[in-house]
Amino acid sequence: MPQREDRGRGARRLVDVAAPVAAVLAVLAVWEIWVRLSGTPVYVVPAPSDIAARLMDRPGHFARHGAVTLAEAAAGFALGCAASVAAATVMAHSRAAERTLYPLALLVKVTPVIAVAPLFVIWFGFGSFPKVLIAALITFFPVLVSAIAGFRSVNSGALDFMRSVSASTVEIFLKLRLPSALPYLFAAFRITVPLAVIGAVVGEWFTGDRGLGSVIIVAHNNIDMPTLFAAIVVLAAIGVALTALTAYAEGRTLFWHESRQAQRR
Amino acid sequence: MMRLLLTSLALVLMTACAERQDATPGPSPAADALQSAEKLVFMAGFKPQANLPFVAVYVAQERGYFREEGLDVEIRHAATGEHLKLLMSGDVDVTTAAASSVLKRRADPGLPVVAFALFGQRGQQAYVALESSGMRTPKDWEGKTFGYRTSVPPDYLAMLSANGVDRSKIREVNAGFDVRVLTEGRVDLLAVFKSNEPDTIRRLGFEVLQWSPEDFGVDNIGLTFITREDMVAGSPDRLARFLRATLRAMEDIQADPDGAVSVVMKYAPEEDRDHQRFMLQAEMADAFGPVTGAHGFGWMTDEQWKVLHEQLVQFDALPEFDYRAAYTHTILRAAREDKPRTNTP
Repeated sequence: MPQREDRGRGARRLVDVAAPVAAVLAVLAVWEIWVRLSGTPVYVVPAPSDIAARLMDRPGHFARHGAVTLAEAAAGFALGCAASVAAATVMAHSRAAERTLYPLALLVKVTPVIAVAPLFVIWFGFGSFPKVLIAALITFFPVLVSAIAGFRSVNSGALDFMRSVSASTVEIFLKLRLPSALPYLFAAFRITVPLAVIGAVVGEWFTGDRGLGSVIIVAHNNIDMPTLFAAIVVLAAIGVALTALTAYAEGRTLFWHESRQAQRR
Repeated sequence: MMRLLLTSLALVLMTACAERQDATPGPSPAADALQSAEKLVFMAGFKPQANLPFVAVYVAQERGYFREEGLDVEIRHAATGEHLKLLMSGDVDVTTAAASSVLKRRADPGLPVVAFALFGQRGQQAYVALESSGMRTPKDWEGKTFGYRTSVPPDYLAMLSANGVDRSKIREVNAGFDVRVLTEGRVDLLAVFKSNEPDTIRRLGFEVLQWSPEDFGVDNIGLTFITREDMVAGSPDRLARFLRATLRAMEDIQADPDGAVSVVMKYAPEEDRDHQRFMLQAEMADAFGPVTGAHGFGWMTDEQWKVLHEQLVQFDALPEFDYRAAYTHTILRAAREDKPRTNTP
C-alpha cells in the first residue's frame, strides 16, 4: 500500500512539473512557427530561437547584469519588508498610530514609481541605492497591509490566556501575534518579490549602465529585440526563482500551519 | 429635487445632441476634397513641441498646404521611441529621426529607412556645464563627471579625440534625462539637446556654458524626415507633395516665427510659449548653412553623410556599411520641380 501511495505521489509531482513545462513549450512552438511563417521581421517580434541564440551568445553579459538586478531587488525587498513590518507592529498596537501613519503609507502606495524614480537619482545619485529604494517602495504597502491584518488576527482565546498569565506585550507579540501573522506575511512576500524585481528594473531604466533595466532600455533604443527579450527571459527566471524560494521558505517556516498540513494530505 | 436633477440632465443631453448636429453638417466641397485626398500618416518623433520638422508639418496642416497638394495628413506623436517600429510596420508613412540614428538603424538591425530631407545642418546635441564650474575648454572636462543619455555619444568621443582630451580622466555615467542632475551637482558636464535643455536649465536659475561639437572640429547633422524604401519606390509623388507643402510652410516659419509658435501652441497647449520660441529659434539657426546656401533648404550632401558615417565607425557606434542607401535626394528634387529655389537665408 505505501509503495502504491509513493508511486501516486511521484506521478502527481511529475504532472505538476510536466504540465506547465508542456504549456510553455507549446506557446514557444506556436510563437516560433508564427514568426517563421508570417515572415515577421526580427525587429518587430524575434522568434524564440533568436532569443535563445542571443542568450547563448552572451551568457556572461546577461548573468552579470542579472546579478546586479537580483542584488538590488533582494536588498529592496528586504528593506521594504523590514520597514513595513516595523510600521505594522506600531500600527497594530495603536489605533492612533494607525490613523496617523496609514494615510502616509497610502500616499506611498498611490505615488507612481515612474514619476519619482528620476527624482531619486537627483537625491541619491547614480549608484544602486536609488534602485534599492524604488524596490523597497513597491514592496512596502502590500506587506504593511498584510502584516497589520496578521498581527490583529490572533486567536482571542489564546490572547486572553496570555493576558491572564500576565504575559508582557513583547511576549504576546513574539509568541502569538508574529506566528499568527506569518501566513499573511508569506502571502504578501509571494506577491511583492516579483514587484521588487520590477522596481529595481524601473530604477535602472533611468540611470546607470548596470542591471537588466539598462540592458532593456539600450536594446529598446537600438531596436535590438532579441537582446530585449533575452533580458526579459532572465528577469522572468529571476522572478520565478525568487518566488519559488519564497514558497520554499514558507513551507519550511509554516510546516505547522493547517494550510500546509492540508496540502500534505 | 430628483425632478430638477433629471431635467438638468435632459437639458445637458439635448444641448450636447444639438451641438453634435451643428458639428456634423452635410457634405461640403472641403469635405469632398478631403475624401478624395490621399492619406499620409506623419509621426513626430517626440511629444508636440517646436522641433523644426514638427513645426513645418503643423504649419502646413494649419494653412491647408497639404490639402492643396491633395493630401489628407494625419499627425501623430511618438512617446517612447516607437516611431521607427511603426514606420516599419506601415502604420506610419513619414517620421523624424536624427541622421546618426538613421545610419545606426540601417546598419543594425538593417531597417530599410531612408532620409529624404535634412532639417538640421548641425547636430542636435551639445554639452553643457554650469558657468560657475569654471570650465572653459573641452580639456577642462578632465577630472570631471560627464552625464550621458543611454549610451556614450560618438560626437563626444570625437570631440575628446579632436581636442586632445584624455577620456580616462573623465568619469562617465548614464545620467538619464533630467537636467537637474547638473544643477544639483550629480554631474559636472551633461549631454543635452541644445534647442531645448540649455533654456530649461537657465529657467531653473543657472547660467550654462555650452560646447557644440561643430565648434570643436566635429561635423554633425541633425533631424531628418525619414520614410521606408518601399515608400520611396512606390509613392515618390505622395512624399514629394508632402515635402513640397512642408517646404512652403518653412517659408512661412521664416517670415513669421511668432505665428509659427502660435501654431505650435495649438498642438502643445501645456507648453511654455517662450520656451517653444527659444526652441524654434535654436533649430532655425541650425537649419541653414553653407549647404543650404548652395542647394536650398532641406539639402544634404554625400560628404555630410560620409563624415558622419566615418565618425560613427571610428568610435564603434557602427560597423562599416554602404551609408549611401540611407538617404535620397529624389524626393526633394521632385518637390522642387517647376518651383524656384526658396528658403535660402
